[in-house]
Amino acid sequence: MTAPPDVADRTADSRIARIRVAAQRFGGSLAAMVMPNIGAFIAWGLLTALFAPNGWLPDPTLAALVKPAITYLLPVLIGASGGRLVHGHRGAVVGAVATIGLAVGTAVPVFFGAMIVGPLAAYLLRAFDRTLGSRVRPGFRMLVDNYSSGVLGGAMAVAGMVVVGPAVQAVTVWLGNGVQLLLDHHVLPLASAVIEPAKVLFLNNAVNHGVLGPIGAAQAAAHGKAIEFLMETNPGPGLGVLLACLVFGPRSMRPTVPGAIVIHFFGGIHEIYFPYVLARPRLLLAAIAGGAVGILTLVITDAGTIATPSPGSIIAVLAVTPKGGYLGVLAGVTVAAATSFAVGSALLGFGRAERNTDDTDLRECRRADD
Amino acid sequence: MTPTCGSADVRTIDGAKVRKVVVACDAGMGSSVLVASQLSETLARYAVSVQHASINEIPDDADVVVCQEALVVRTRRAVPDRVVLGFRLFLGDPAFARLARAIRDGVLLAG
Repeated sequence: MTAPPDVADRTADSRIARIRVAAQRFGGSLAAMVMPNIGAFIAWGLLTALFAPNGWLPDPTLAALVKPAITYLLPVLIGASGGRLVHGHRGAVVGAVATIGLAVGTAVPVFFGAMIVGPLAAYLLRAFDRTLGSRVRPGFRMLVDNYSSGVLGGAMAVAGMVVVGPAVQAVTVWLGNGVQLLLDHHVLPLASAVIEPAKVLFLNNAVNHGVLGPIGAAQAAAHGKAIEFLMETNPGPGLGVLLACLVFGPRSMRPTVPGAIVIHFFGGIHEIYFPYVLARPRLLLAAIAGGAVGILTLVITDAGTIATPSPGSIIAVLAVTPKGGYLGVLAGVTVAAATSFAVGSALLGFGRAERNTDDTDLRECRRADD
Repeated sequence: MTPTCGSADVRTIDGAKVRKVVVACDAGMGSSVLVASQLSETLARYAVSVQHASINEIPDDADVVVCQEALVVRTRRAVPDRVVLGFRLFLGDPAFARLARAIRDGVLLAG
């Protein structure tokens, strides 16, 4: 420790900033493979909710759509989006082909696998295009372009089916078992201690679409619903935090809160409450408490949704709630909101604490990025 | 407000030359749309267009990129040669009014 304390502090600060940016970038690319395809996830969720044996309009013929959609369509879309991020439309094509091999070779939805082989296939094609492919004479360009992606895609599909598939299946099952283990030992609510802080650091999409969604999809394919879909998307904890700010927050903050509540709870844009937590970091404890009690309620009532509610609006949550599952889901949201409101109000000293500090620290604006 | 600490290579642009503002967020689907629609209302009268985008896909012709403070470092890395302005609150942040004023008065924007 030869560095003066302030220099040491700054290095530590910048290291934290670096880690955070790395996490945001990695998580951002995971989410970027899923989020453009949310429409397909919703279509699949609606088909399941309507036509599955326990759905609203059970129909064995139409229910035949459900399994191929989650086994093939959704992973292929993720693989294609992953390929596109690396190498445009050509990357998307080989990413899709590589993913179909993976999907055929395994019995579980291969979302995580698609996030790996899609970009990997595109990366290999990009490497080819930039080296050998660029030396081809223009007249042969189309021939080489088509056959390079065809051969590489086919090879990746075989590799995916034979090599990557079994590995991905093992990991997916293992992750699902991990969640089940947490459930069995009644410690799943502890996940909120990770989820809520990650959210306010703008890792919400990464956590939800990159991690919980794929685990949940495997669960939903097997059991018809999954609690994982609600762990990050539950709008309850954020609602409670915002309500606490509305009633007991600094006066400078209050005028914008009602609009934020509507956008958060009904519009599903959770980002809108993160700055209020970042401005009063102790409110994080309120969000964690709300999230944990919400998950506990969902566990007790055996609640879950059919697909990821996206965005995390109460409307989207109810739209993917299975028939007969409303009570548990609504209880999970309501109890979470009540808990985070109560804890948040206490942490804000029921309005007493802010009298001394009103306005100053909202204006002073801490530099969150350095 | 403009976070400059630690970034020696701060970019600048004359507010009067700003033609396109891009609001960036992680996915480019939710919060950036919200902010972009608010900003485009105020900036339309200065003939400035406002778009929203994912941080990974910020268009090349953006003059100024706006994003939440917590995403500023990541955004700077994505577009190192652009002015990146951070805001704190999604609704009613003073940074939005400051941006509009700078564009109106032709003040130098740095970030």
